[in-house]
Parts: sequence; structure tokens; C-alpha cells
Amino acid sequence: MSIDVIIPDDLWEEDNEGVITSWLVSDGATVEVGTLVAEVMVEKIQCEVESPAAGTIKITKEEDDVVNKGDVIAHIEA
Amino acid sequence: MQPTLEQKMWMYEKMVVSRRYEEAIAAAYMEGKSPVFNMANGPVPGEMHLSNGQEPCAVGVCAHLKDEDTVTATHRPHHQAIAKGVDLKRMTSEIFGKANGLGGGRGGHMHLFDDDVNFACSGIIGQGLGPAVGAALSQTMQKKSGIAVAYIGEGAANQGAFHESLNLAAVWNLPVVFIIEDNSWGISVSKQKSTAVEKNSVRAAGYGMPGEYVAGNDPLEIFKVAGEAIERARAGKGPTLLELQTSRLAGHFIGDAEGYRPEGEKDALEADDPITKFRSHLIEQGDATEQEIENIETAAQAQVDEAIAHARASEDPAPEDALTSVFA
Amino acid sequence: MSDTKERKLTIARAMAESVAQYMRKDEKVFVMGEDIGVLGGVYGNTRGLIEEFGEERIRDTPISETAFMGAAVGAAQNGMRPIVELMFVDFFGVCFDQIYNNMAKNIYFSGGNVKVPMVLMTSTGGGYSDGGQHSQCVYGTFAHLPGMKVVAPSNAYDAKGLMNAAIREDSPVVYMYHKGLQGMGWLGTERGATVNTPEEYYEVEIGKASVVREGTDVSIVSLGMGVHHALKAAAELEESGVSAEVVDLRSLVPLDRDTIRASVAKTGRLIVVDEDYHSFGVSGEVIASVVEHDISVLKAAPQRVAFPDVPIPYAKIMEQFCLPNADKIVATYKKMAA
Repeated sequence: MSIDVIIPDDLWEEDNEGVITSWLVSDGATVEVGTLVAEVMVEKIQCEVESPAAGTIKITKEEDDVVNKGDVIAHIEA
Repeated sequence: MQPTLEQKMWMYEKMVVSRRYEEAIAAAYMEGKSPVFNMANGPVPGEMHLSNGQEPCAVGVCAHLKDEDTVTATHRPHHQAIAKGVDLKRMTSEIFGKANGLGGGRGGHMHLFDDDVNFACSGIIGQGLGPAVGAALSQTMQKKSGIAVAYIGEGAANQGAFHESLNLAAVWNLPVVFIIEDNSWGISVSKQKSTAVEKNSVRAAGYGMPGEYVAGNDPLEIFKVAGEAIERARAGKGPTLLELQTSRLAGHFIGDAEGYRPEGEKDALEADDPITKFRSHLIEQGDATEQEIENIETAAQAQVDEAIAHARASEDPAPEDALTSVFA
Repeated sequence: MSDTKERKLTIARAMAESVAQYMRKDEKVFVMGEDIGVLGGVYGNTRGLIEEFGEERIRDTPISETAFMGAAVGAAQNGMRPIVELMFVDFFGVCFDQIYNNMAKNIYFSGGNVKVPMVLMTSTGGGYSDGGQHSQCVYGTFAHLPGMKVVAPSNAYDAKGLMNAAIREDSPVVYMYHKGLQGMGWLGTERGATVNTPEEYYEVEIGKASVVREGTDVSIVSLGMGVHHALKAAAELEESGVSAEVVDLRSLVPLDRDTIRASVAKTGRLIVVDEDYHSFGVSGEVIASVVEHDISVLKAAPQRVAFPDVPIPYAKIMEQFCLPNADKIVATYKKMAA
């Protein structure tokens, strides 16, 4: 089963774009529910993205990629 | 001490120029910084500290100053520079890092030096205090009539340099006016959390000089109190400490999320904008008609637009210019 | 720099994690400085600490560097283990008396009877046009004066390990972190700094350099941001068949002269990359460490890629002209080998 890692709608207030500044896990790492996986910068604020599931992470968006709320940035293979 | 009509209109004009200037700088600053907010990018890189809301402190004091008088300003210097008469085009070129800027692009927005009007600013807290004392000393030793104004923020009143400089100016009876712009925040730390006294003006007593707190962020009230202090300085009666309540309408720098501010504070400050209030005052008092005010505002915008256009059209320095001007 | 499929941290997070973990086990450790509380540090390195430890142990200070730097010295001598932040290293001018006349000398003056177990963490570096009072490194200034250990991590693994070692150390440690390596996107992001960093406690020994890339033709010795320039230059040189070794000093005091000498003995060529000013600094000291030891190993005169001896200019075009970069390193090697 594969679960998407999605940028949550409430990660930041406005509807502007963000940028992935850092992946905090390597591609293929084992993650738990709630593991901090990425930092997304919106203007000058850094927001944290957590893993929604336990499993192996497959990263689909790179650092410096522009992202919007609702975007899938990785999958978790349970 | 009351301003003449001419002085009042000058103060309004400079306040508007300053605000329009900050708005234009903010827009230019954000170019190239979205969606990636990287400070290094865009035509105006680095940190940017805007003075929105603090204009009364600049005009109420500088209305009394002549070119020969020295102003040392802070890391948030644009309003003070504009009120002191710094060349707006050369200043803007400096902020855009151009060869024809005040420092040929070497200084940047925190390091504006205009020798023609004896203006300087610097980037570290409390740095301008000693040099203001020195400018006053120099004028006195040369038997010249200039005085000095040192601007600092309320956070700087907890620096050693503040206490040492006040004492030195007092003990040598120098013509200095120390101006504290109290916007109540040192980046994220409130005045209440950082300062042992409610009003820094009481600290003047420790150095045997008059001290006064001016509430209200009102250019007319600041004009009056600053005028008296500057008159004392010119009359050889020594230094004065003034603390001016003001408001930082922008963040510490552009990009500051200001999560540390109590909820509603920012809205309340914006609703109490000193420019809006002064504008209403001028019209209510019959000092100017709506049309005259609009003319001032239009001219202010044009002056700002011209300065920005000038800077954009100016040449970059040569890279190797970095190696020149180290020594006189 | 491990490449295992595990957790990665930015340097900002690695620093905060080290401090938090240490504070949990040692109640004598506390943090003070400007905007390190609710704001979490301008560079993110104290993020989350005030939420966990409260205002008693995470202390926002007034803008009074002389007072709080002196207070750190006093608290350290009195049984606490303060971590004190100087927001920009450029601000040392305000409080250097406490740093180099008290912090650095009191152990010696007391004949070793007094301990000064404090960490002075401070940000360094430019490259984002912040002008000449917010962009300096001044590594050499601190390293020159006896009595302070000085470290400068280039990646998150070392950042955590060096912080742990620094907090445990009974002598003062100046911990110099480069703004461009913090993983704060608004200061640019150097990907090579965000690396695998274990959650459990470990130390990186103060005074031990690291050979981060092995090579045989030239030793590129650097620290902080310069290590990343060196690695990029080494990758570029490899394409033209040149094998460059990269040494990350990690510590300036004590300086790991043995590792530098061993590397140059192997390669015969030395380039020192330093974002600090060219003269009287780290680059000269590294070169001296080699030439005063054994000049016979050298196949070419040692070279340095450092910041010229001018204040840091604001305008991007001028600042970038002055800063070290990979291209300058490659060009320097080509001249040496010619």
C-alpha cells in the first residue's frame, strides 16, 4: 500500500507557493507516523512536513522545487 | 515651540516621501525573492529594515537641523536620511548597489554616508552614539556652531555605549541631542522584557542632563520638545536625552513573520498611522486643503519614482572596485 | 559524511538537538542571547528550546553583549555551563573584552584552578549582500588569541558532534557556524551541509580535522563554507584527471597540523580556502604548519583562496568578486600545476 505525503492545507496561512528547502530523510529511509521529513519555506517562514504513515519513503519532489498546498511530495510504501 | 506653516508642510512632505520610499523599496526588495525567499537575490539583496511608522521621529527633530549639524542614524535609517536631506538618488543607488551610490555600492542600506549633510548610519546597535559625541566635540573645539543628534532604538539604551556616551557628552558639556526611537521591540524582544525602567528618559538623571519622554508619535509634539533640546545644545547648555514613542509598522526586517507580537497589536498600530493622523490634522486646522495635500503626495511619489528609476538605470560597479577605497 | 538511508538534519536542527539533549541530562546547561527564545534564534539553532525548557533556562537577553558575555563567564566559573549566542560574529567588537581578556584567560590566570565551561556560539559568513558589519568570518581573530578553543562545522553531523563536545568541555569553546550552511532557505541552502545525523549522543573530537575526500595531486584545506567550495572544485578537477584531497579542519584551536601535514606529504600541493581575510589568518597558519615542518614535500608554492584584505562590500557584484568559490580554486590549481 502506498500513502501520499501531501502538503497540508493548513501548513501556512495564505495561498502562496512554498519551496522545499531541505529533505530531512534520505530517499528510501524508514519513517514512522509523525517523522519530520521535509522543511518547506514560505516567504521567510519554515514549515515542517511530517510523515502520515510508517514505511519506506519514496521522494518525488526535489529540494528547491516549488510546491503548493495539496501537492504530493513523496510516497510512503507501507 | 510651534512650527511655522512652512515647517508643518515640510514635515508632512518628508513623512510622505519617507513612507512612499519604503513602499517602493519593499516592492523592489521582493523582486526575485519569490517563491524562493533568498536574501541574496533580486536588485536589493541583504537585510532590509524599513522605517514605516517612525517618520514623526525623523521630521520632528530634523526640522530644526542645518546641513552643518551631524546626524548618526541606525540600521533603520531611511526616514532619518530623508529628513536630514540626504540625496535621495545617490542613496537609492547605494541601496541598489550601484557605482554612483553614496558609497559606490560598498556600504549598502545600513551604511549610508552623505558628507554634504553630515549624515551617517551604521549596522550595529549603539554604534552611532560615540561618533555623535565626537562630532559635537569637533564643532566645539573648532568654535563652530553645529550640533549633533544621535538616533538609537530603545533596545540600544541597554548597551554600554549608551551610558558611556551620555556621560561623556555631559561631563564635557557637548551639544548633543540623544534621540531614542521607542518602537517597543528589539527584533523579537519587547522593551518590557529587556529594560529595567519603563522609560529610558529617566536614565538622563544618571548623567545630569534633562530627559523627556514624548508619547503619541506626533510630529508636532516631537517638534516642540526636540526644538527645546536643540536650542539648549546650540546655547552651550549641554546634552539632552529624549525618548520618542513610535511604532514599527513593518517587521524588524522584510520577511519577519512577527509571531512574537501579541495578537491585535499590529492592527492597532496600523489603525493609528501617524501620517494619516497628521494629514487629518492639517486639513482640520485649515493648514492645507485636500487638494494641496494631494499635490504634496503626488510630488512625493514622483520624487520616489524618480530616485528608484535613477538607481535602476545606473551602472553596476566594476567587480574590482571592491579593492579600492580601503584607505584615504 | 555518511550516505546511509537515514535521518538527515540541517545544521540549525543539529545544533538545537544537541543542546536540547544535553539540557535534558544536565540541568547546569542553559542558553542565553538575543532572540534565542520565542524567535528560536535568527538562524534557527535554538528552535523549540523555550517551549521545552522555559524562560528560566532559555534566556532572551537585552541588547547588552558585554553584560551577558561577562555573565556567561561568571556563571561558568560559578558552576553552570552556559551556552551564549553572539548573533553575528561581527558584534564581537561590542564585547571582546569579556571574550578575550576574561573568558579566554581566567583559567590560565588561576593556574588552572578555575574552569570556564562555556560555549560561545556565533554566526559567520557572507555571500548574501548584508554588508561589512554582518558578513565577516574573523576566524583568525579568535583563533589567534590563546585560551579559546575554536570550532567551525561544515555539516550537520559535525555540528552536532562538535556541539556535544563543546558543551562537555571545561574550557571555553567558540562555536562558529556559517549562516549559509544553516539550512535556512532565506540565506540560501547548501545541500551538502544537510547530512545523516544520528539521534543518539556522540561527539566529534575538538582538534581533529577530517579528510572528507581523498586524493593524490593536491590538498585543498578549508573550513565551514569553504569545504563545500573545495568539494565542488575537487569534482571539477576530477573531470580533468586531477585527484584532489579535501581536508575539513573542523577545529581551528587546537589545529590538527598532523592531518594537514600528512595530506600535503601525500599530494605535494596545498591550497587553503578561507572566507576570512587573506592576511594574518587561518590560511597563513595552515601554510606555515606545513612549510615550517618539512618544505621538501612541496612540489609547488602553497596557495590561498581567501577574502582580499578589504571590508566586505555590499554590492553583490563586488562581494562575489571577493568571495572564494570553486572556480577560483580550480584556477589556482591550474596555475600551480603549470
